[in-house]
Amino acid sequence: MTISHQPILDGVDPEIMDTLVTRRDAIRRGASVSSTVAAGLAMGSVPVMMAALSKDAYAQAPSAILDVLQFAFILESLENEFYKAVLGTSTNSAQNAAFAGVRAQIPASAQQVFRQIQKHEQQHTDFLRGTAIPLFGGTAPSWTANDFDFTGGSGSGNGPFLQATTQLDHLLLVAQAVEDTGVRAYKGQAGRLLVNGDDRADVALESALRIHSVEARHAAKIRRLRRSMNMDDTTLRFSGYVMGGGVAAAGAGNIANPPAGAVAALGLIYGGEDNTVHTVFNGTAAVNLDAATLSGLDVIGDANARRQAAMMAFDEPLSKEQVVAIVRGFIRSDSGHALP
Amino acid sequence: MAKHTQDSADALVVADADELMRPTTRRNFVRVMGAGGAVVLLPGVFSACSTTPGMGATGTGATAMDGGALTFDLRSDIGIFRLVHTLEQLEAAFYTAVVGSASFGTFFNAGERELFTDLRNVEIVHREFLRTALGSQAVPDVTGSINTTTLNAILSSRDGILGAARLFEHLGVSGLNGAGKYLQDARNLLIAGKFVSVEARHAAALRDLAPPSGQSANTAFAGDDIIDMNGMDVKLEAGAALDRVAATNLVRNGAVSSRNISNAPTATQGKASANFFPTTP
Repeated sequence: MTISHQPILDGVDPEIMDTLVTRRDAIRRGASVSSTVAAGLAMGSVPVMMAALSKDAYAQAPSAILDVLQFAFILESLENEFYKAVLGTSTNSAQNAAFAGVRAQIPASAQQVFRQIQKHEQQHTDFLRGTAIPLFGGTAPSWTANDFDFTGGSGSGNGPFLQATTQLDHLLLVAQAVEDTGVRAYKGQAGRLLVNGDDRADVALESALRIHSVEARHAAKIRRLRRSMNMDDTTLRFSGYVMGGGVAAAGAGNIANPPAGAVAALGLIYGGEDNTVHTVFNGTAAVNLDAATLSGLDVIGDANARRQAAMMAFDEPLSKEQVVAIVRGFIRSDSGHALP
Repeated sequence: MAKHTQDSADALVVADADELMRPTTRRNFVRVMGAGGAVVLLPGVFSACSTTPGMGATGTGATAMDGGALTFDLRSDIGIFRLVHTLEQLEAAFYTAVVGSASFGTFFNAGERELFTDLRNVEIVHREFLRTALGSQAVPDVTGSINTTTLNAILSSRDGILGAARLFEHLGVSGLNGAGKYLQDARNLLIAGKFVSVEARHAAALRDLAPPSGQSANTAFAGDDIIDMNGMDVKLEAGAALDRVAATNLVRNGAVSSRNISNAPTATQGKASANFFPTTP
């Protein structure tokens, strides 16, 4: 809160607030919101009118939740079709053929990892299409394997991640990056699903959180796989954490001569992961805390060690726009789909 | 606290309409809010709310947890974060003990020691972040309530340490997954989200390192026992998570259990859903 708000607050009679700003159900469902505002206006009460307006701003309309779910469905479809192509189980023979070279290099143990991950991505798309999106009155769009270009070439089949179709190291890097993008995307959208007391929104939010942590498990496992194949690359933590930010956080040290386009994409995917300042809201004010300079961290080590730990301790979100910028290259430009 | 979008800081005025609906605090809170410009300067981020009854008030000075002195009022983000703070304290204390134990170098190889040291460091950051954020509402140091007999028994074997670590990380993941819907501010939900995926990374790494009995080494990181048919992770309501903590007997006299919840979340925050958690995560 800022000082300038104090006079307004002082002028608010709690009982009037109680009367006018309690139609939570209606507001939550995006209905008859304006009547509350109108009531405030009719009474000539600026504070109450402002209160009602602001409360409206917090309520998420079903369309906003549906938008998040549809967006999630696109990302999950991309992930699912990617792993199916890698495993050779895509319904699109061209996608299967594209990954034939690298497929032969995948150890049986890692094949099993990929199958487990793909199973989850399929379950996520099924849940979003069959349950979550219909819950909000929507229909999932139709995305097929042919809509994607897993080289990141927007349909050219010759994008910056082409090496992933022929080199195992590169394939695992892309898988890790895809999973971490998913983690960051869900994290960035969670706030749009928060509508307290709305049963449907509860389902959407809790489901999203539970999917989000599964994506983090996937990313952690792939990091550990990559570390076991590149023991000197300590950016790939055995703990599965993301350490640092930007392209360095990808742990791409084992990729020889990565294309500039891949470096740029990884820079976007891990951009800002090194943030250590986080905002908490205490009911009165938003306060920023730097996790790297808290007291009580001495046992971790010197200032650099404390900063590294602080970067690992918080996974960072991506905005929808940032995610779209990342995934755009993986969707064929002639797919017929417009990204949100 | 009411809901905020991340970019609506100017709308804080209204956020507290929800607080005003709480009969016992309604009028007082308006006065407290009127002093909002000043309370920002108080040392603890959440300390402003310590003047408000019913927000989970076990403040500074309460050190004895035995006998249910520690209470969680889950009707506010503060109360929910206090619960998370308690779990993070236990995790940090546990990993500090693991890394400092005499057998650490013999039970675990270099890569495993790196993992546990990372876990210790990150849980310490979580603990200190929440302690600072909660200010006077922070949960008192719980290390004095740890049952050293139980702790030493866990520390006496590699499997004991790995099993306890897996349980703690899964309680963290499931607790945060279950609590998100009750948080009332999107910025606080984002903090919980930043924590939970990190806890999930721990959970996956530990299961990958040491799969529970019956789980394949290649799929345990996200095995069918912890991921349901919809591809969703573990989830517990707060009371169930606390009772799982109590069952470890790591905290004396069941000082951390569901009976410490003084007020459950209200229906206007969210509705409880079915729990999903295996016997041995």
